[in-house]
Amino acid sequence: METICVTWILQDGSRKTAAVETGGNLMEAALDNAIDGIVGQCGGSLACATCHVVIEEAPAALPDISPDEDDMLDMAEPERLPGSRLSCQLLAVPELDGIVLRVP
Amino acid sequence: MSTAPVYEIDPKTFWQDPYPDLKRMRAEAPIAYVPQLGATLLTRRDDIFENEKKVEIFSSDQPQGLMTVLMGQNLMRKDGAAPMAERKAIFPSVSPKTVKSVWKAQFEEKTAEALEELRPLGTADMVKDVAKRVSGEALKAITGLTNMSWQEMDRVSQGMIDGCANYAGDPEVEARCHDCTGSIDRHIDGMMPLLREAPDSSMLSVQMQAGLPEEAVRANIKLTISGGQNEPRDVIAGLVWTMLTHPEQLALVRDGKATWLQAFEEYARWISPIGMSPRRVAQRYEAKGVTFEPEDRVFLMFGSGNRDEAVFEDPERFDIARDTSHSIAFGAGPHFCAGAWASRCLIAEVALPMIFERLPGLALAGEVPFGGWAFRGPLEMPVTWDAAGIS
Repeated sequence: METICVTWILQDGSRKTAAVETGGNLMEAALDNAIDGIVGQCGGSLACATCHVVIEEAPAALPDISPDEDDMLDMAEPERLPGSRLSCQLLAVPELDGIVLRVP
Repeated sequence: MSTAPVYEIDPKTFWQDPYPDLKRMRAEAPIAYVPQLGATLLTRRDDIFENEKKVEIFSSDQPQGLMTVLMGQNLMRKDGAAPMAERKAIFPSVSPKTVKSVWKAQFEEKTAEALEELRPLGTADMVKDVAKRVSGEALKAITGLTNMSWQEMDRVSQGMIDGCANYAGDPEVEARCHDCTGSIDRHIDGMMPLLREAPDSSMLSVQMQAGLPEEAVRANIKLTISGGQNEPRDVIAGLVWTMLTHPEQLALVRDGKATWLQAFEEYARWISPIGMSPRRVAQRYEAKGVTFEPEDRVFLMFGSGNRDEAVFEDPERFDIARDTSHSIAFGAGPHFCAGAWASRCLIAEVALPMIFERLPGLALAGEVPFGGWAFRGPLEMPVTWDAAGIS
């Protein structure tokens, strides 16, 4: 199974990097790596906004924000920032090897 | 049946207060077979959180289940791509944006109407006179069944819930349930032509606009009614009781040191209105030394997971300042409550602030018994307020 390198900048400023298998999404990857602040309550059904991240570095263009994700991001805690995404909507694909996400 | 250790309950005691038994189960047998319920219970938060997502094992598809038989197969009783497509179709009626721009004003209008009517009386039952009505009016708006009275909304919701819990097969309960689903179908029949002419954001209308099969549309409306009346009702009344019995927490909200939303989330953790969600084991599976066999019945005990000592400090304490982000009150996976945002708005932004603002001097005027473990809330709640001096 192919993996990509994903880094999370945690709320205390520390960084955590993990090898993430491709195919899943980055919310699941955060739960697998016990990233504090990512809860993923709804399991990726776009109903809860508890996998909110801010993109710090993206090695390739990310998929567009769908209207449903956009709507849900407006309810995210802490408040939405430029670069905010719901990580359940970001698939771990080879092009995103090296992506850096901040947990707001 | 699973190989989980057996834990016996006294059904009556469990109904009155399930928390002491659930606490013992979490400590001694976190996955336990309860013969009185004919089901294996998962009681720890992380076990529920992990396993609810394994839909290929713990399936929601329960073709022989009472809900499917009595109410049609709704999206809560399906797994995989179909319910996700239906979820997407209903999203425009319950999305945070629609809640804010369409429903909130209607919630405010109907709640104000109810409270203004009651205000001069100085006394009421918070469950029967306030919470039921506020909840029923909100549900009329969201479902699109505006041709129904709030009393009928409450009756059909309760009738279906009783029908789904009718494991003993009481023919009277079953007949009442059929009468209730029949009433809903007639109200749907009445609204469909109107909504075809003038589509709106209601759940009935958006499903019609999305072209869902009529059978699915009807089943999802019934699901919404069975799951959208009791829970807000129980939380509205339950949270009023909680704040009146925890005045220091009420003071935090009144002084602006905490929000009604925090109070709402903490109440839903502390006394989860939906304490249980059932699953059917679809294939042989082993977890924590327990073997599950196909067709085993499994209960995910949300109300227990939300009091899990391993996740929440001092979980029996109601504390609106606590971090509730790990609460599973709305579920924990693909069947996460679609009405979550509507309920937050109705309860935390509209009902609770209005009740405390418009009924000055609100106080309890008698015993407030709670009941239930699958659904839990106050059964009655006499209150008084200062009606004199209100112009």
